[in-house]
Amino acid sequence: MTLLQACEWLGSSWIGTLIRNSKWGFALIEMVHLLALALLGSTLLVSTLQSLGIIFKGTAPGALFRDLRRARIASLAAMIVSGILLFADGPLRYYGNAAFRVKLLLIGGAALTGALSHYMGYGSTQREWPVWAKAATLLSLTLWLGAGVAGRVVGVL
Amino acid sequence: MTLLQYACQWLADTVIGTRIRESDNLFSVIETIHVLGIVLTAGTIAIVDLRILGLLLNRHSVNAVLVPLVKIAWRGFALMALTGLLLFWSEADKLYFNLAFRLKLLLLLAAGVNQWIFHMAYDADIAASSALDAVAWRTRVSAILSLSLWIGIIVLGRAIAYL
Repeated sequence: MTLLQACEWLGSSWIGTLIRNSKWGFALIEMVHLLALALLGSTLLVSTLQSLGIIFKGTAPGALFRDLRRARIASLAAMIVSGILLFADGPLRYYGNAAFRVKLLLIGGAALTGALSHYMGYGSTQREWPVWAKAATLLSLTLWLGAGVAGRVVGVL
Repeated sequence: MTLLQYACQWLADTVIGTRIRESDNLFSVIETIHVLGIVLTAGTIAIVDLRILGLLLNRHSVNAVLVPLVKIAWRGFALMALTGLLLFWSEADKLYFNLAFRLKLLLLLAAGVNQWIFHMAYDADIAASSALDAVAWRTRVSAILSLSLWIGIIVLGRAIAYL
């Protein structure tokens, strides 16, 4: 099955049809997507600022990333589930949407650089992260921001 | 036509209102920044509320979480209010009739009052005791109210476009 065929299948599945045919379905899922975004975005911002040593000074860099793990996973899961449901509303519309493709790439890049920053950070025994780890975590936050902006552009294109 | 409705009509007809409304991308750009403001405000407030309720960041004291995050929330609020004003400006005549918008403003007001009462109570609690981990019941009630109100604000904000 090609990716395009998978999109066609999802769009014509019962879940895609249900969302498309309901008056408030899409809007309700969008609301969940937005609520989860508020929690995920602020969680990422707070843990990044902490890793950079800007807030929660005196705690080991990366500590808040660990402490916020539950909130991050829960909000990310809610975003992915609601995101897939929004996608199911019209997969073929999003399949050809450049902003949507860019958004997926940005999410992948953000997750990758974020993981990389912690890998580099934990290797050090310093009270402060090495500059490369800091750069990577800042890049990760920027890519998340880009994914958010791209998400808005998806609706405009 | 009431005075408020007249004022909204006038606002939408001004150069700035018209410029935002008729531009290809300006409204979407402002909307995107508005959402970023919401993330900075509602998200950080939610983290503080969840800490007060003992659901998050329990290794850190309430005050250690509250102080830096409220600072971020205020900056986010400034961004949200400014962009929200611009969005309203361009559609004031229509939003006057929008039920979701009216309810949203009421909830925003309620969230503000709740925040104000919370701060007075919280400051009094701090002055009375240094044991911040024993969170007073009124602080917990305030946190639940705050979480509910902000969820309502975001939901209604999205509903505006559908009404």
